[in-house]
Amino acid sequence: MGVIGKNVAYYPGCSLEGAARAYDVSLRLVAKDLGLELDYLKDYNCCGAMESKNVTFWGTILMNARNMSLARKQGYEVIVAPCNGCSFSLQRAWYFLTTDNSVLTKTNALLREGGVDPLDVIPETYHALEWLYEEAGPEKIKEKTKKPLKGLKVANYYGCLYTRPHFYARTYSHAGGQDLDKDRPMRRATADDDEHPFFQNKLLEAAGATSVDFEPMHTQCCGGPHSLSDESVSEKFVTECPLCHASLEMYRHRLMLKGVPDVDVPAVYFTQLLGLALGRSASEVKLKDNLSDPLPVLKRYGLA
Amino acid sequence: MAIHERGLVEQERIIKKDRIVIDGVDASGDWNLIILPRVINDYDLNFAKDIINHPQGKTINQCYQCAYCTASCPVHNYWDEKYNPRHFIYLARLGMLDELQKRADVIWRCVSCHKCTHRCPKGVLVEEVLKVIVNQMSKRGLIEEYPSKKFDKFFTESVIEYGRIEDGELLFGWMEKQGYSVMKDPILKKPIPFAGGLPDWLKSLAIKPLKGMNIDFLILNAKHMLIHPRTQNWNRFKQVLERVIREEGIMTH
Repeated sequence: MGVIGKNVAYYPGCSLEGAARAYDVSLRLVAKDLGLELDYLKDYNCCGAMESKNVTFWGTILMNARNMSLARKQGYEVIVAPCNGCSFSLQRAWYFLTTDNSVLTKTNALLREGGVDPLDVIPETYHALEWLYEEAGPEKIKEKTKKPLKGLKVANYYGCLYTRPHFYARTYSHAGGQDLDKDRPMRRATADDDEHPFFQNKLLEAAGATSVDFEPMHTQCCGGPHSLSDESVSEKFVTECPLCHASLEMYRHRLMLKGVPDVDVPAVYFTQLLGLALGRSASEVKLKDNLSDPLPVLKRYGLA
Repeated sequence: MAIHERGLVEQERIIKKDRIVIDGVDASGDWNLIILPRVINDYDLNFAKDIINHPQGKTINQCYQCAYCTASCPVHNYWDEKYNPRHFIYLARLGMLDELQKRADVIWRCVSCHKCTHRCPKGVLVEEVLKVIVNQMSKRGLIEEYPSKKFDKFFTESVIEYGRIEDGELLFGWMEKQGYSVMKDPILKKPIPFAGGLPDWLKSLAIKPLKGMNIDFLILNAKHMLIHPRTQNWNRFKQVLERVIREEGIMTH
């Protein structure tokens, strides 16, 4: 435990400053309650998300390299990003910068030209979930839980890019306790399982919630309504990506307008639930920021 | 229904006869299935070279055509089986640009879920390779500006301009680009989310927050729509970024 570091550079990303404010606020609260520290990356720029990389390779690498350079300037070698898209982009840039020397040389030259310090060390990026699991872990959450999420059934939705591809996310197969991918070139000891991620399940179960069986939908693409319409056992979707969150909420709304039954499953961020369990109030974790109203379900269990 | 090997008998060549009897013999079914002699002399090996020389496409030659990528692909499985990553890699390596061009209507459909790259047993960065293929195609004029590229460009332009994106601008600006009429206030020319000719689901979604959401959250987002969030000290970097993207030449094609 504790390989990543308790004090890290925090790259929130554009989404968390606006539409996904709840994720940002609740993550900071949870980190604070668990004795961890997130140091805001000053003056960061957009990571390019899933869009820019399709139209410019060098531009996207450069944008992420600038953010890495800012982290180095603030004295960090580790960046934590809570958004799947941001952590993907930073990890992708890390992959190309460390494996391809020509990319690093060209990027450093361009950074210098743009008035940013070139990279001496290339900072690694961790997803906030991986960081919380490594630095706090289920035991600590269990210990600090004041208001267990008793009886609440959750479907843990991880999305695509938290575990994939293993070159960037550096995941490997170890969910059953057995290490099955010894030859993965980029594997990282702290990373989640690739096809059966379980960090979020474990953290929320430690806080008292019950995870429903949600495989294989937990890592299915959010780009379609398929991932929603055949799931009716759960009372809550728990997400860790603002884009997936928006997509789930938007399609939920559209499906309900079309009269599809059994899609009334509100989506919340995992940090919001953890925050509640750690004794924070509903308004502190900004439950009212969510488009799909989670309050009725939570009230039923006396949690909000 | 006979199963035809793709590529050997083109679908449009098949003649279907529901009921045909010749000299007392029932000969109904698919006709014109003869496999024509093929001599491929129209190929371009420079296409594959350009891909290999790109940092994103270096791994393309590790592919041994096992089609694990295609088997994993949600676009292939849930949308259209014409979308076949293995086949695209095959065609790109052979330089069969005319065949790639025939698939221009589906080849951009990738949703970047990275199942292909993740599961490839040979370590091909499939998703990256497919993007280079599409980009090289648009550089050579083999594919017109496809729908997802329009959004990608719109998004990237916003990043270049401000250093950051803003969700409201993206959503409503994009709707406007799609041909919906977005009502704007007369002074600041900013969109009014729940009015105008927007689709009904979006209007009701935009009105919903007013009923029960946090007021400070609404104010925050409205403020961002009025004053776009910016990265400080962006100008010098922006010029370099713009130049790099221009030199790369994919945005402009």
